[in-house]
Amino acid sequence: MTTFDEKRDAPEARPARRKMSWAWLGVMPFFLFAFIFLLYPSSTIVVRSFIDPNTHAFTFKNILALFGNHYILGAYWISIEISLLTSVGGGVFGFLLAYAAIRGGLPKFMRSALMTFCGVASNFAGVPLAFAFIALLSPTGMLIGWLRELGYNPYFHGFTLYTFWGLSIVYMYFQFPLMVLIIAPAIDGLRREWLEASENLGASSFQYWRYVAFPILLPSIMGTMILLFGNSFGAFATAQALTGGQINLVTIVIGSQISGDVLGNPGLGYALALGMVVIMALAIIGYTLLQRRTERWLR
Amino acid sequence: MRRGNKVWWWFIMIIGILYFFLPLVATFIFSLKAKLGVLSFQAYTNVINNPAFVYNFTASVIWALLTIVVGILLFVPTAYLIRLRVPKARAAVEFITLLPFVIPAIVFVFGLVRTFSQPPLLIVDSPVLLVAGYTVLSMPYMYRAIDTGLRAIDVRTLTEAGQSLGAGWGSILFDIILPNIRVAILSGAFLSFAIVIGEFILAQYLVKPAFAPYMAYMIQQKAYEPAAMAIISFALTWAAMGIISLVGRGNEQAQVGGGH
Amino acid sequence: MQTKKFMFSLISIMVATAFVLSACGGAAAVPDVAAGYTGSVVASVPQALVTACKSEGMLTIIATPPDWANYGEIFSDFELTSGVKINSLNPNAGSAEELAAIEANKSNKGPQAPDIVDVGYAYGATGIAAGDYQAYKVSNWDKIPDTVLGIPAKDPNGMWIGGYYGVMAMIVNTAVVKNVPANWSDLLKPEYKGQVALAGDPRSSNQAIQTVFAAALANGGSLDNAQPGLDWFNQLNQTGNFVPVIAKPGTISQGATPIVFTWDYLAFGYKDAAAGNPPETVSYPSPTIASMYVQAISAYAPHPNCAKLWMEVLHSDEGQLAWMKGYAHGVQQADLESRGVIPADLKAKLPASSAFSSAVSPTPDQLSAALTLIKAGWMTTVNVDIPTPAP
Repeated sequence: MTTFDEKRDAPEARPARRKMSWAWLGVMPFFLFAFIFLLYPSSTIVVRSFIDPNTHAFTFKNILALFGNHYILGAYWISIEISLLTSVGGGVFGFLLAYAAIRGGLPKFMRSALMTFCGVASNFAGVPLAFAFIALLSPTGMLIGWLRELGYNPYFHGFTLYTFWGLSIVYMYFQFPLMVLIIAPAIDGLRREWLEASENLGASSFQYWRYVAFPILLPSIMGTMILLFGNSFGAFATAQALTGGQINLVTIVIGSQISGDVLGNPGLGYALALGMVVIMALAIIGYTLLQRRTERWLR
Repeated sequence: MRRGNKVWWWFIMIIGILYFFLPLVATFIFSLKAKLGVLSFQAYTNVINNPAFVYNFTASVIWALLTIVVGILLFVPTAYLIRLRVPKARAAVEFITLLPFVIPAIVFVFGLVRTFSQPPLLIVDSPVLLVAGYTVLSMPYMYRAIDTGLRAIDVRTLTEAGQSLGAGWGSILFDIILPNIRVAILSGAFLSFAIVIGEFILAQYLVKPAFAPYMAYMIQQKAYEPAAMAIISFALTWAAMGIISLVGRGNEQAQVGGGH
Repeated sequence: MQTKKFMFSLISIMVATAFVLSACGGAAAVPDVAAGYTGSVVASVPQALVTACKSEGMLTIIATPPDWANYGEIFSDFELTSGVKINSLNPNAGSAEELAAIEANKSNKGPQAPDIVDVGYAYGATGIAAGDYQAYKVSNWDKIPDTVLGIPAKDPNGMWIGGYYGVMAMIVNTAVVKNVPANWSDLLKPEYKGQVALAGDPRSSNQAIQTVFAAALANGGSLDNAQPGLDWFNQLNQTGNFVPVIAKPGTISQGATPIVFTWDYLAFGYKDAAAGNPPETVSYPSPTIASMYVQAISAYAPHPNCAKLWMEVLHSDEGQLAWMKGYAHGVQQADLESRGVIPADLKAKLPASSAFSSAVSPTPDQLSAALTLIKAGWMTTVNVDIPTPAP
């Protein structure tokens, strides 16, 4: 070593520092990958939504244009509508289904069968799911055929698979399983002692639910419904395959925009995508906050 | 709940079963109707003998395998180092692995196409971008699976034991750690497989051959063949998830995924 | 040690499988877009173009499904002749979206930028005005007639060239519809509730717009007045017979849209593809409309030589015959007939011209006027809760 110099710090333990820097080097590939293929493209969208496509100057014009464009507002509205419907509907029925399997007094195997099936069903979404419902509910679909033999043709009474209501029915197919899988641990956390205690104290079913079960489960249920909302809001392939891109959802409009600037304004396209990310982020944050509240009870 | 209410829960369960199974039954029956008047597997034969199907399906399998390999090579060392040596980076890594949930696939591919279709990074044509995209989409699940696996074993002790026996880092990772998280990796791998096979958006907009865009196209063109493809797709997903269940031994984490 | 070997072998097997599959996939499988079609090498094209195209390496085409007028065989002809793969974008796009795609991708040399478009007749002039096209006169330029059905078949400067024309026909899925409608007014009957559909979005699809135009001719309108067509569709919608789903061969066979107006070459193609299951019939309404489709090279084409080679293939004998096999009426049909190049079995397959003798063809001005009227009027007159343009 060189001569000792008072101005320098005391020599540190070299081996420890070498290990630290190697470890940081070891995680560099991950961060590099994430930067190039996730962070950078995502930031492109965020940044470009604040840039005027013609002058390349910073502007809020694109964001404001979102609110002035009827077509886009319509798209957000329909997306929100369908997401609300399927998150609430999916949440409620999913919860009932999970509770039935776990605490409803049904045979034990039904629980694992339901969980396994839900794992599969949530991956069946997208193109194959769209066709499965075409096979069931199109004008020549199986269920419609049965109803027609009974003398009732839903298509003559205004029902159609290829718009809002039909799509909602299809969306439930991946909303129910998601709810079941996520709420199951929370239902598990409802200790039997609490049910027994409330029965011993003479509470009715209704009172049990009203004062014990729901208050505990509510944050989890609400949180998961918010997650379902985000899930539905971001769905694309199912709607695209079912309607051929003919329904005015935000995701479908973004898809058209990727193919060829149907909005006539690239900046608007980016703003549209940004709006979507904001809504999804709010959903995830809401879910996380509510999950933390539930965790108190789930020890 | 009181015994009397069991009827109510049975009712719910039956509705659920009907809702989940009727579309599958309808699809299966529809797929058997390719020959006029008789039930046959003609549609399946048509699908499997169609070179376009083979091409697109094989492509999807290739993308899935590559994505799994990239995932293992990228995430195992990272998760290991985070757990063992660089806990400060944990928050950043967790944030990154959760980001794909916040950014829907359609927005993600929008970003990819716009970012990488101009020089200097003109790789929008390249399969590298597709595999990278798939790796990002499967990251929350793959990384989670690996991380969970690492959490279940005592990484520190194993590493120190290995070091005291004179093993280098590579040997520790591959001879000691990897075998112990085999189950977790397989679980993540099969989930990634199911996700990539069913993925529509990336392949469609990055203009690459894949099963889902091909199937979407066939829905517009034909009546019976898409039904056969839907059944094939469901069977594959079932097989993949079934293996995960077997391998994961009843692990009930939310194994949800797939481009929808 | 054994488990290390296990992991290594697992990963190597996966990577090896991936490579083997991609090699097999690449060599054995015909590229997607021409799959199932057998074309041939077109010898009459300029060889300099073939070489130039090879170095460009790709042709990007848009809104051209392989089963549209037997384009699949032409794809195969092109790929065999040039050795270059065709990249097919957006098979479902309408003419307006094709031009939008050209304009959106002016500076983009990636696979999203189309080299070639195939658009409805009116979009020839629109594209020239917007500066979307570049001129190219194919070597068979003189074999293309100046007019077909009374309208120009090629732009004098070569900005666009007419390739084929179709006549509006009606295809019916007879497994779903027991009584085939005999004329336009039949369609308003209650038995056809929720069964009548268009083959495109009437705000952007040439085909859909011309269906409305044809309806005008049958209901008191004329080639100069398309408004009755909108009124008729409004009536159709009020009765509940109109279904706002864009019809595709799949939706016809699946029964979602059992009665569809579409070009005759498409209708005959769908009928052949269905192969009797379900049974489908094709008939010509009276009066009906004929329309030419024109092809043009994008002014910003990333692969201009491939685009030019493509145009050469379209106007070669092989290209024209391929279209005719697809039931389309090629513009060079008269020339091919005079040289006796059309096979007898092909002649037998094509519908007799008496079947569509009531077909008329609008001039470019009449067509633009009708297009503008229908595009603008659809939302206000018919007021159907409709579809966004398909991506």
